[in-house]
Amino acid sequence: MTRTRTPGISRRSALALMGAGAMTFAAPWAARAQAKTIKIGMPTILSGRVAQLGTSSRNAVMLEVEKVNAAGGLAGRQIEMVVRDSKGQPQEAARVARELVNTDGCELLLDGEASSGSFAVHEVARDLGVLCIHTCSEASSLTADPKQHIPNAFRCVRQGIHDSIVGGSYAAAISKAKGLKKWATCSPDYAYGRDTTGEFTLYLKRFAPDVEIISESWPKLFQPDYTEVVTKILQAKPQALYSCLWGGDLTSCIDQANIYAMFGQMEVFAVNMADYTALTVVKNLPKGIHSGNRYIKTFPTTPENAAWGDAYKAKYNEYPTNWSWQNATAVMFLAEAAKKANSADGKKLAEVLKGLTIKCPFGADGTVTMRGDDHTLVGYAIGWGTTIPQEPYVPEVKAGDWKTIFELEAEWKKSKGYT
Amino acid sequence: MTELEAGRAQALAPVRGGAALQRYRDVLIALVAFAVLASLPLFTGSKALLDFVIRCSAYGLFATSLNLLVGYTGLTSFGHGMFFGLGAYGFGLIMQKLGVPIPVAVVATLAITAVIAAIIGAICVRLKEIYFAFVTLAFQMLIHSTILSWASFTGGDQGLRGGIPRPAFLGINLANHIHLYIASCALLVLGLLAMRQIAQSPFGYTLRMIRDNAARASFLGIDVWRAKLTVFVLAALFASMGGMVMALFVSGAYPEFAYWTISGEAIFINMLGGVSTFLGPMVGTVLLLLLNDTVTRFTEYHGIVLGVVILFFALGLRKGLLDFVAEWFSQRRDAGEGR
Repeated sequence: MTRTRTPGISRRSALALMGAGAMTFAAPWAARAQAKTIKIGMPTILSGRVAQLGTSSRNAVMLEVEKVNAAGGLAGRQIEMVVRDSKGQPQEAARVARELVNTDGCELLLDGEASSGSFAVHEVARDLGVLCIHTCSEASSLTADPKQHIPNAFRCVRQGIHDSIVGGSYAAAISKAKGLKKWATCSPDYAYGRDTTGEFTLYLKRFAPDVEIISESWPKLFQPDYTEVVTKILQAKPQALYSCLWGGDLTSCIDQANIYAMFGQMEVFAVNMADYTALTVVKNLPKGIHSGNRYIKTFPTTPENAAWGDAYKAKYNEYPTNWSWQNATAVMFLAEAAKKANSADGKKLAEVLKGLTIKCPFGADGTVTMRGDDHTLVGYAIGWGTTIPQEPYVPEVKAGDWKTIFELEAEWKKSKGYT
Repeated sequence: MTELEAGRAQALAPVRGGAALQRYRDVLIALVAFAVLASLPLFTGSKALLDFVIRCSAYGLFATSLNLLVGYTGLTSFGHGMFFGLGAYGFGLIMQKLGVPIPVAVVATLAITAVIAAIIGAICVRLKEIYFAFVTLAFQMLIHSTILSWASFTGGDQGLRGGIPRPAFLGINLANHIHLYIASCALLVLGLLAMRQIAQSPFGYTLRMIRDNAARASFLGIDVWRAKLTVFVLAALFASMGGMVMALFVSGAYPEFAYWTISGEAIFINMLGGVSTFLGPMVGTVLLLLLNDTVTRFTEYHGIVLGVVILFFALGLRKGLLDFVAEWFSQRRDAGEGR
């Protein structure tokens, strides 16, 4: 018998395919039709080397969103988070952000991207006009540079320049007290490492003019072996060392420097040490490393902060990260802004967010502010302290002075031509 | 004309006629493809679909240009992404710093890419196989490191910030999503048509000969080095065009555009789509972007899914999708003709 029909796609399959296609194209309208809930899109890094930070951002957001929803939602609308991986690639971050708004019907964006990804999402926000809160990028220029300014974008993140001012003044005080004049630096060889180190030494020398930098090391990002760096530092015999290595790079460097007993030979200032991701991973955490606070539940020393850290740990069985508190704060800002505006509309929220001060467990005085003129977070708890090998890891943190930060930040902006 | 020459001319006439027909067929297909793509916004309001086509244009030009090297000339470049990055950065920087009209920036970027590609190519194409692959990779890392280190000019690891200005020209406003979409489709179709012409020209067949037996081509009087350098520069130009489309899409340029992973993606696209058919890389581009966009919607473990897909193509089909389909059709036809 011969076949009268060539094998092909069956009628049922064709109908199923057409149905699937129609659903794909109808999805945005269907999504918008359910106006009772409000979708918030969040591109962040959920795979690769910094996935842990992206996951901790998502965790913190979900923790806060549950509270907001339990309290009635955003101006009466329940929040539905749509969190998607950008792999840390800017072009993917831009695509995901556009998809979240255009296809998934997200009305607001929380941008959980670092570095270049945040600038890519910023351009999407500029293009689509959607309210966007950056929650992870510490690059000061994102909000300090007037070219970046758009009315619908805010940044709810600590800033490199704030850390450098506080770090520089803290280190200068110790430098004067202990007579630390010869300094070495060891930071990752990319813009963040070079900028942050440059700003730290600028303020260190400003507060302690007799300090001299006698050695600089610039290991590559994600470098596995630090032997050469450690021996170079030891040979230079500095009295103090500054580093803005972070994450796995910092813990690898400390583990390898421990073999050479480096930490007994000099005072070490590592701005990114006081974060649980580093503190709990280092095999033998040396006593007395000076560090800026990233996230630590003992600073600020308030019951609200401790309770928030414990609640996070209880839910996710790990401590929050620096990215966690920033993302949680962004949701708190949205909730408060929606209350004030009595609306979840992006434009109305943006109006209210300008200059908004809210109660927050992570505030230096129990509050944080979204500064009106550059749409950036100020007033958060910022300080430096020294480590001990077990919990609470950094028992005492000396708080930075926001008055000094504001003065020097204004000078810095002027020097950069931003004002 | 001698009798022998006259005989040859007669024999060549149908071949030339066939080539002309082929050329017109290609132009016709290109026109139809452009008309279909350009009319898409009339039928759907899905911005995501238009975004998808814009990204397909960028990656499609880039991956097909790599196939000119890999598939047609046998030069496996691991560093082709440097030209994608050069296109994005060149265009973005010219628009930001000089504020010239867009067509001027496009031509200037292509000229810069051509000069850099000629210098790099002059060094690389002397080498063969793995040495060629690794030296191209080394140049890519050099360019990537330069972008990172020259922060005052390129913005370092944070990329070109502040958006790329897109002033209107000839009534075309690339800040408008639909205009950008149609311009991307036009660049894609024109780029593919130009590459098709290169592939089907006598020069294209010279490249195939070099791929199959470079020594033989050399003995026949072909300057192998010059031919390889020419195709290296041409491929760089099309990759650069892809980079410009991507820069326009994200309104910026980032170091990741010049990193080795972007070259890896182009190689992966070629593996998916196939290298022995002209449209293989384009099919691969659509497949990869579809896979990426679908899988990342549902899981962050997309690496596992893509890995399984690579294994399926590498171990299961042992070739790209379009190669597999073409072979299957040819086997069916042969079976039908009773061969």
